[in-house]
Amino acid sequence: MSRLQARELTLAYEDRTVVEELDLAIPDGRVTVIVGPNACGKSTTLRALGRLLRPAGGAVLLDGEELAKLPTKRIARSIGLLPQTPVAPEAITVADLVSRGRQPHQAWWKQWSEEDERAVTDAMERTDVAALADRSVDALSGGQRQRVWIAMALAQETDLLLLDEPTTYLDISHQVEVLDLVRRLNRLRGRTVVLVLHDLNQAARYADHLVAMKAGRVVAEGPPEEIVTAELVRDVFGLSSVVVPDPVTGSPLVVPGAPWGAEEPVRS
Amino acid sequence: MTTVNVRPAGHGLVRAGRGSFLVHRRSALVAGGLLLLLAAACVAYLCVGEKSVAPGEVLRILLGEPSPSAFVVEELREPRLVVALAVGAAFGIAGGLIQTVARNPLASPDIIGISQGAGAVTVAAMTFGLTSYTVLPYVSIAGGILAAALVYAFAWRGGLHATRFVLIGIGIAIALRSLITLFMTKGDYLVAQQAQIWMTGSLNGRGWDESAPIRWTLLLLLPAVLWAARAQRTVSLDDDTATALGVRLGAVRLGLVAVGVVLASVATGVAGPVDFVALLAPQIARRMTRTAQIPLLCSALTGAVIVVVADLLGRRLFSPVELPVGVLTAAVGAPYLIWLIVRSRAVGGKT
Repeated sequence: MSRLQARELTLAYEDRTVVEELDLAIPDGRVTVIVGPNACGKSTTLRALGRLLRPAGGAVLLDGEELAKLPTKRIARSIGLLPQTPVAPEAITVADLVSRGRQPHQAWWKQWSEEDERAVTDAMERTDVAALADRSVDALSGGQRQRVWIAMALAQETDLLLLDEPTTYLDISHQVEVLDLVRRLNRLRGRTVVLVLHDLNQAARYADHLVAMKAGRVVAEGPPEEIVTAELVRDVFGLSSVVVPDPVTGSPLVVPGAPWGAEEPVRS
Repeated sequence: MTTVNVRPAGHGLVRAGRGSFLVHRRSALVAGGLLLLLAAACVAYLCVGEKSVAPGEVLRILLGEPSPSAFVVEELREPRLVVALAVGAAFGIAGGLIQTVARNPLASPDIIGISQGAGAVTVAAMTFGLTSYTVLPYVSIAGGILAAALVYAFAWRGGLHATRFVLIGIGIAIALRSLITLFMTKGDYLVAQQAQIWMTGSLNGRGWDESAPIRWTLLLLLPAVLWAARAQRTVSLDDDTATALGVRLGAVRLGLVAVGVVLASVATGVAGPVDFVALLAPQIARRMTRTAQIPLLCSALTGAVIVVVADLLGRRLFSPVELPVGVLTAAVGAPYLIWLIVRSRAVGGKT
């Protein structure tokens, strides 16, 4: 089953077409990861799935209804989205920022409810930022800040969560921390998660459903262990590689072959 | 560990029937302080002048008791005080809204062309012999709104881009300013002098009749301002995040700018472009409340304090010569803002 689907989706910035006639069904309750080389249209596709970009052709469907025709506030109760580089207002505190995730559930005359309180507390505990509640977001480290943003998206309490390269700018331990968090949310809460990642190995490790894109089209999709092969890597990234099982998880691990042009004789 | 106070840090919850409203505690305190300060400034304003009236006497007159000084206080000073309050509050709110939408603390009605639009049309009208203070406000209101519409139309390209909004505003402001200069050099000497005073911003000769537009506008726009105070929260996030949270960004921004532009235009129409109030008041208020967005109520109160104090000084500093209020608003607000910025740097450096 898929609550969120793209049908013959064509996306363009001004008159430059980035994605053409893309069909995609996001499996419910799973972690879907979209990978591909730079400028392949993966982030653009994610933005369209979260109605940040209006399709030039085709449609994104949420529960069978066209996203472009739904009120944006109603969409916000079903789909949470964290953009690649969100910007926090200057000097905002962690708790204040996280509580803004409750926006779609609030109204002018109903600015705070028990439900809001519970959702925000829960989101902050889940992402381990409760202790930072009164700190200014400006003063946090990159990893902490990313967790706060995820907490904000979680406080929105949507069944679908779209994250655009949530690991960018993070060091490796923070990358793993964020991805583990996403994984837990999916496993424990049954949230449907869509991630855009550019690291193929992370994608293969965390995805239930992997979507490989190239030049605005889906090249392959399915469980990582079935689709990640040396041929796919060459086809999508133009890189020769060896694919071995990950020693920890058993998922496919892509090891780039022929380093530093190793076919050439080594100069001494 | 003890329970974490999650409810957006530093807020209190006010329940009324089925409604619930978040109140930022520090903002409420600051607003209270500003109200006291404003009350003191108002009493001082009514006391000081050609003829001094004791504060106790002023309070008794305000409570309706007969007094030989009643005429001076109620007929001469009070109407002008009301203009100062209304104009200051309107500029404070307008500046806050425009800075929020532009995401730029330097954006204000006197930077992005609203004052210049009002100015160009007003000076043109003066040049063509229209000098009535009851008609001129409406002329300049139209000019301000027209200029803002022009800026908005040019800055709109499938959406409003904050930086483009400010840059186009500055461009149009420059173009309009040269138009003003043209009218002033072409026009009669006396008209030019009168226009120059208007351009500085002056409360001289403004009474109940002249302040009617601004009083009505403030009253009618009150619901819109209450909406804006809440709507500002989401607009202060980046576009993508705000949209993802279900905010109709285009509509909300247009609403915020519209309220700001109408207030700024009407205030300019009544008192002329009183410089720096709309620029300074929101920033001073925000630094006092330490909120993530500009606190509109505190910004309005700060604007009112600045204009009342500046006009008080303008009337008395070089008495019997009276300085236009616009000359002194920057002098009243700017040092305080600079002090706030310097102090916050020092605090920020320690953490």
